[in-house]
Amino acid sequence: MKTMFSSLRDGRGFDVGLVAFPMGFLFLLSGLPLLYNVVMSVQEVDMFSLGSFARPFVGLKNYATLFSQPETWPILKNTAIFVVASIAGQFLIGFGLALFFWNEFPGASWLRGLFLVSWVMPGLVVGAIWNWILSGDFGVLNYVLRSVGIISGNIFWRSDPNFALWAVIIANIWLGISFNMILLSVGLSSIPKDLYEAAELDGAGAWARFRTITLPMMRATIGAVVSLGLIFTLQQFDLFAAITSGGPNNASNVAQYWAWDLSFRQYDFAQGATISVIMIVFVMIASVIYVRSTRQEVRG
Amino acid sequence: MSETLRNRLFLAIALLLAALYLFPLYWMVVTSLKTGSAMFATPPSFWPSEPQWQTYAYVWESRAVGRYLWNSLVIALGAVVLVTALGTGCAYVLARYRNVWIDIGLFLILMLQVLPASLMVTPIFVGFSQFGLLATPRLAVILAIAAKAMPFFVVLVRSTFMSVPAELEEAGLVDGNSRVGAFLFIVLPLARNGILVSAILIFMQAFGEFVYSKSMIQAAELQPASVGLNSFMGPNTNEWNNIMAFAAMYVGPILALFVLLQRRIVSGLTSGALK
Repeated sequence: MKTMFSSLRDGRGFDVGLVAFPMGFLFLLSGLPLLYNVVMSVQEVDMFSLGSFARPFVGLKNYATLFSQPETWPILKNTAIFVVASIAGQFLIGFGLALFFWNEFPGASWLRGLFLVSWVMPGLVVGAIWNWILSGDFGVLNYVLRSVGIISGNIFWRSDPNFALWAVIIANIWLGISFNMILLSVGLSSIPKDLYEAAELDGAGAWARFRTITLPMMRATIGAVVSLGLIFTLQQFDLFAAITSGGPNNASNVAQYWAWDLSFRQYDFAQGATISVIMIVFVMIASVIYVRSTRQEVRG
Repeated sequence: MSETLRNRLFLAIALLLAALYLFPLYWMVVTSLKTGSAMFATPPSFWPSEPQWQTYAYVWESRAVGRYLWNSLVIALGAVVLVTALGTGCAYVLARYRNVWIDIGLFLILMLQVLPASLMVTPIFVGFSQFGLLATPRLAVILAIAAKAMPFFVVLVRSTFMSVPAELEEAGLVDGNSRVGAFLFIVLPLARNGILVSAILIFMQAFGEFVYSKSMIQAAELQPASVGLNSFMGPNTNEWNNIMAFAAMYVGPILALFVLLQRRIVSGLTSGALK
């Protein structure tokens, strides 16, 4: 007893103790739910069996049901469009801004910091603001597009099935510019300046310098930012809840919103768990790519 | 082109870009100050000619904004305390050693960091209801948020501990401190700023959390402001000035915190996420 106490205070036990509690906590509240999710996806779960652990085992029936539903493939396609378009928009705008603020001028770093503001805002607030900006009859975006002559009639962003998904994508791009830009700025600032001076002496133009120095030097950063973008985009839920609720008629529904909707709106917890399992596999793959592209940094 | 002219040109473009980017925030404030009819005017006015400040008092009273914000505060503080208490020691050990177990631990933590809340809420909700945790819904949400946020906190704080020289701690041990003493009185004070910034980031995230609260808290008296804002926005609402006033009151404290600590937040975020 005494040796155990002194080990906790002064030896190996101290480290083990510090790690054991948080790891145990994470195991209870993340690890177990993860396993429980898989278990529920092969069980029959309804409102009556919700409280008991012994539910009928149905094998892969939930998966078969899921893929026989007519809305499954359109929703998966929406998820793919949402992810690709959001990442492309966030990355291009974020990279452009990072390159611009890379130029040294007074106030650059302070102004650049302002672009982080969307990162700290509650998702519901961002969603509420964009819901109003994208409003069909009175939205300011329609007004601006009309006055510069891009559109002639109002676009009903939230209720037109052709635009509903894009309404959420626009809001999500705005939200994601911040971390793209900040992380890319960090990457840019670690490129040694003398590389550019040498290239300039050799007569390389701006585009050649960008293509032969900036892009290759930024490869690890770009990989990390894009895979982080994938992870964050697959986590995006609040904007769907605040702007379209997945509607109209699933036109803007994506897998991560659908999983929640099935569980908490239609009380079909088994189907909700089934989609969760499939999506979590995707997210895990993305995070392995992310960990690989930042491995050097993680190991220090 | 002279140096000053170039600087001014760049500054002008930067201000323009920042104004474009911050327009949604500006539009929130302008809309919240408009009258019911000015809000739906075409063309819309970009400046509130008769600011309706009483909208804020009206929304505060009629939508119980104070109660919602209080619940958000309780949830956010609970999550931050839990995450900081558990995560700091974990980050310290992960920063101090270098072996295969540490690598495995880090990898597991990074994997847990990416699990989307909207996917994890189904098993967490069912599990919590089976263990009766939903009887105390705010505690349930605090636990769920803490589990979601802790990996991020550990990664951020670990990078802070890595910048504390191990020699200082060893010197403390030679001087007769126990491990506990060296950790509490030498390492922790040196890492204080990094821990504080990470805790603030976790606080901001938890203050805006939505999925867990929406799914687990049924009683309106216990719901945080994110759920309150969501139930304020019906599908065919036309109270946009009131909704924007609600949003402004919700985001105001966070923006104030952000502006005050902007420099530290930026450096804290960037050091944790990539370095």
